[in-house]
Amino acid sequence: MNPAHENVLTFLARQTVSAATPLILAGIGELVSELTGVIDIGIEGLMLTGCIAAYTIAGATGHGSLGLATAILAGMAVAALFAATTISGRADQIVSGTALNLLALGLSGTIWSLYQNWRENHDLSTALPHGAGYSRQAVGALARLPFFGPVFFDQYGLFYAAVLLAALVWVIIRFTRLGLILRALGDSPQTCQACGIAVRTWRWLAVLFAGGCAGAAGAYLSIMRTHAFATDMTGGQGFVVLALVIFGRWSMGGLILGCLFFGAINSLQQTLQTARYTSHYAVLHALQSVPFEVFQMLPYVAALAALAVLSRNHPGPRQLGRPWPEYTYLS
Amino acid sequence: MTTFHSSPLQRHAGRFSRLISTVALIPLAIGTCGLALGLVLSGLALVGYPPLAIMSRWVDGSIGGIYPLTNSLADACPLLLTGLAAGIAFRGGVLNIGAQGQFLLGALVAVGLSTRWLIFHSAPPVIILAILAGTFAGGLWALLASILERYRSVPIVLSTILLNFVALYVVRAILQGPLQAGGTPAPQSPQIAPAYWLPELIPFTSFHLGIPIAFVLAVLFYALNQRTTFGFESLVVGLNPGAARLAGIGVSRKQFLLMFMSGCCAGFGGALQVLGVTHFMTGSFGNYGYAGIAVALLGRLNPLGIAGAALFFGMLDTGALRVEESSLALPHAVVNVVKAVVILLMLLLSAYLLGRKLRTRQVDPPPANDQGSDKP
Repeated sequence: MNPAHENVLTFLARQTVSAATPLILAGIGELVSELTGVIDIGIEGLMLTGCIAAYTIAGATGHGSLGLATAILAGMAVAALFAATTISGRADQIVSGTALNLLALGLSGTIWSLYQNWRENHDLSTALPHGAGYSRQAVGALARLPFFGPVFFDQYGLFYAAVLLAALVWVIIRFTRLGLILRALGDSPQTCQACGIAVRTWRWLAVLFAGGCAGAAGAYLSIMRTHAFATDMTGGQGFVVLALVIFGRWSMGGLILGCLFFGAINSLQQTLQTARYTSHYAVLHALQSVPFEVFQMLPYVAALAALAVLSRNHPGPRQLGRPWPEYTYLS
Repeated sequence: MTTFHSSPLQRHAGRFSRLISTVALIPLAIGTCGLALGLVLSGLALVGYPPLAIMSRWVDGSIGGIYPLTNSLADACPLLLTGLAAGIAFRGGVLNIGAQGQFLLGALVAVGLSTRWLIFHSAPPVIILAILAGTFAGGLWALLASILERYRSVPIVLSTILLNFVALYVVRAILQGPLQAGGTPAPQSPQIAPAYWLPELIPFTSFHLGIPIAFVLAVLFYALNQRTTFGFESLVVGLNPGAARLAGIGVSRKQFLLMFMSGCCAGFGGALQVLGVTHFMTGSFGNYGYAGIAVALLGRLNPLGIAGAALFFGMLDTGALRVEESSLALPHAVVNVVKAVVILLMLLLSAYLLGRKLRTRQVDPPPANDQGSDKP
């Protein structure tokens, strides 16, 4: 694809889809986990874990697929820690999730400097070795379609995986017995228990699934989209995912719409940041006096505004955030 | 007893009851810290760092001598205030995760007033006004989240997290715009004139006036919690909003007030930090707000416990600097791992200890029309 032939709209749409992919991936996991009643505020940390795991393993071995697999496993491992405290230990989910974020921040920082030392000692270059990072994969003839080609069929491999996964999870949640169980777990674990469904086991599985998804989203950020790692490179995207699940009112369609909306704002603000100096439209030059931090702030303000407009009167899963079985009050 | 139209995140009866309960508080906290340090050190030993050398340098760098000691105290001060901010809100059932943003705004307003916007010939009024304005800035920023929850049903957990990022970019924009120091492209404020610094109580150390004030504040909060109607009512609101409403406590108003106090605490911490320790502000101004949550949990939401936890974290940070600068070159991020492991262990241990106690006394919830059978 020659970028010179792309018009502005195609470029923006393509960037939007590309920016929305990690949010969709992590969002699918978070949606499933929240439907079963577990709110995982540590999703940011899980994504960061995925980033560092994918980057270091891919960089050390030279195989991108190994990095991706490790990222998924690492996300699941950290999520298992979360599940052990909140599901088995019945600790508070918000508190435990915050701890998870701190843990991922510390672990990724530590591993990153260890990895940098190791890289220096072995005289390796600071770029990822050839074959460790992924590039875009066009889907045959579809990629040559006028607008939809570059936007939807010339993306990274994980985008296609995310779309398939989203469709699969949507069908499962909407139409199958398994989906009914998942939704019931979040609304009324008592009923589930009465029906002989092991509440905690199912919640464990949902949280592990969310961890794997978030790990993959992290890998997307580090070894696909940027081919780089930076401390705190997720920059709050995990928190945005949390907001987007509420924004989408716990439905798959709403979630994906929210992700695309957020991705659009993000790609628009990034494009505007450079376009206001390079564009030949005089309108954009007027934006030059606006500090670039205002553009960076936009996605978060948009997320807040979206929540403020849309979150009324929709309570979501009734037992969201509560442990099972509940404690009786003794103290 | 739940209200209609409220998100499940808002109606958690007794969400923190187990954190507040005093089962084996001090032994548990100390044991957890020790265990966490041990775990992280053995993890480091696996990748080739000598644990004993790290420990000795860490102790040396945090309490060995007057300078390390005062540095530890100076680092504990903002942690204590953000910890109190989280503690007071959590105790009342308000999930304020936004201490980071409130801290940043407090610091920004204080540094703005004391460098550009408010210059008198005598220093004390400037210092006092800067601190007060910083405090209120934090409080008002926190109220924004309360208002969003009250009128638009946005869960405070989410709005405070998102507002943290908004605050971060607001601060950076202002530090690159009206408040930028001359001669640098970086987001950095000018230095505060030495006359407007918080006075040092021990000359040539970082032991400034704000440190004793912060610790006195912790004692005051303890008294407020334990000895006043306000403290009792906010505990009831946190433990069971439904019961509080039936008892005639204005739950919503109380939570507004708690949120404001919480934000004020964090903003106060930011103002003290900039006037007492750093004397100027950059675009990345520490992670005290997030660490405050860990401090509050380690102190089990008790202000005196929070003071102890802040001291421990302050020592951890200051000592880790020494280890980082020494020949071992241990990355500073390890400190965050220790903090996180402390929280997770604390949650796990208290869950299992209390869980065992509960199993022997657990009862079925009483039917709705049954009265007075809440005792086993």
